[in-house]
Amino acid sequence: MRKYLFIYKSEIMSELQYVFNILIGFIGYVIILFIFLNLWKYIYNDPNELINGYNMNQMIWYVIITEILWSSLGGRKLCRKICDDVRGGNIAYNINKPYSYIGYSLFSHLGSATIRGILYIILGMILGFIFLGSFPNLNILSILAVLLSGILATIISTLLIIFIGLLAFIIEDSNPFYWLYSKAMLVLGTIFPIEYFPKVMQTILKYSPIYVVSYGPAKLFVEFSWPNFITIIFWQLIYILIAYGLCAILYKKGVKNLNVNGG
Amino acid sequence: MLMVVKNQLKISWLSIKYALIREMLNKTTFLTNIIFMVLNNASFIVQWIILYSLKDNVGGYTFKQVLLLWGIASGTYGVAHFFFKKAFSLSDTINTGKLDSYLVQPKNVLISAITTDIDTSALGDMIYAYITLFIYGVTLPNFLLFTFFCIIGGIFLTSISIILSSLSFWFSKSDIIADTGNGLMTNFATYPDGIFKGIVKILLFTLIPVGIVNYIPVRVMVSFNLGSFLIVIMATIFIVILAFLVFYKGLKKYSSSNLMMAKI
Repeated sequence: MRKYLFIYKSEIMSELQYVFNILIGFIGYVIILFIFLNLWKYIYNDPNELINGYNMNQMIWYVIITEILWSSLGGRKLCRKICDDVRGGNIAYNINKPYSYIGYSLFSHLGSATIRGILYIILGMILGFIFLGSFPNLNILSILAVLLSGILATIISTLLIIFIGLLAFIIEDSNPFYWLYSKAMLVLGTIFPIEYFPKVMQTILKYSPIYVVSYGPAKLFVEFSWPNFITIIFWQLIYILIAYGLCAILYKKGVKNLNVNGG
Repeated sequence: MLMVVKNQLKISWLSIKYALIREMLNKTTFLTNIIFMVLNNASFIVQWIILYSLKDNVGGYTFKQVLLLWGIASGTYGVAHFFFKKAFSLSDTINTGKLDSYLVQPKNVLISAITTDIDTSALGDMIYAYITLFIYGVTLPNFLLFTFFCIIGGIFLTSISIILSSLSFWFSKSDIIADTGNGLMTNFATYPDGIFKGIVKILLFTLIPVGIVNYIPVRVMVSFNLGSFLIVIMATIFIVILAFLVFYKGLKKYSSSNLMMAKI
């Protein structure tokens, strides 16, 4: 475990050298939030009106949190890197290293996501306060609980993206799968809470990764409750095991059939 | 003069054709890129179905009009990225000295530099654009107008990217400005202008000209207006001329980086 923590720490140090690039990414985040602020202001005739159990402020906070989780993840870059490692044969250099490729990818990516996450949380909270003038009713303990849920969500997202990247063992370019995954996450998990979907879909979504990587932490932030927290954390831990298992199986199978030419 | 233009178009067409043949060598990847891009765009229909279940009218647009807006956004993006992919990484071409190889060719430097590669997934964007047109309701005039707006909008988006990327001739970190500008155009393009108010709305028709590329074409298609139609054409001619002027002005400041590379 120490070696992975070292990888994590090294990646944090490296990411700190590129803080300016993260700050540039803020522009996109601000634009998205601005569009949704306008959209929800248009949809809600009265800010206190409840639509599917959410008032306007809760809806905007929901989007702020899900966008923090998504923007700080940087999934496209991770998927492309893993896909390139498999396609280009770089993955072969990792086979004889004293660490697991999945563990290395997970911890190095979490390192960069940590810095981005901290910066996006600060920006998101400032923007939310400027746009809405208040924060949801949370105490220190519940804030820590939401943070824990957010961290677990990021771990699951990272593992799922590693899995998608490793699909390059089967199909040469797995990036299109990532486009679909990212859009499914955006449309079904980032823009709307699960309650906005038809009843049949709600049941499916509650068992899908969307519940644990996006909806869960955001729901806790806008409407915190301990029973909800326990349920979400439980499912997040289950999902970590499932996602890691899937990555390990795919990696093992893929490496067996790996054929690298040249050097 | 006409022969020069004809020759240039022929060269660009051949360049795009060979890039397409190259991409088609791996058929599975080629098809997955296209199909998944169509599905990727189509996923947003869910978002609008939900929003329209809450309100009959979003920003003055009906559901079908929003689909049309999406179609034009997708079509213009597709045309720009399929035919002029390199215009969106022109900053990199300038910064890394890759323009050298185009300077020695007896053809237009800018057009040659932006038509050397294609983005396969942009074909998916174009296909999706026509799917939305069919859902909206296709007639011959609609089809022709839609195709015209997609082409002209694609050229408009490309010109904006060229202008912003050409700043790299003067400033070293201007690729960030180009990326941000291109991102702004894409992000606003799929949301009805009616949800924005005040200064933002003015910006959308001026500094961030999404209005020219997307909003006015939708209005013209919904209810034809010659004045608006001409505004789009005039604005496109203006931006194309501006793109050429800025690029060639900047090119005078270009210095080679002695980059050695093979062009096949």
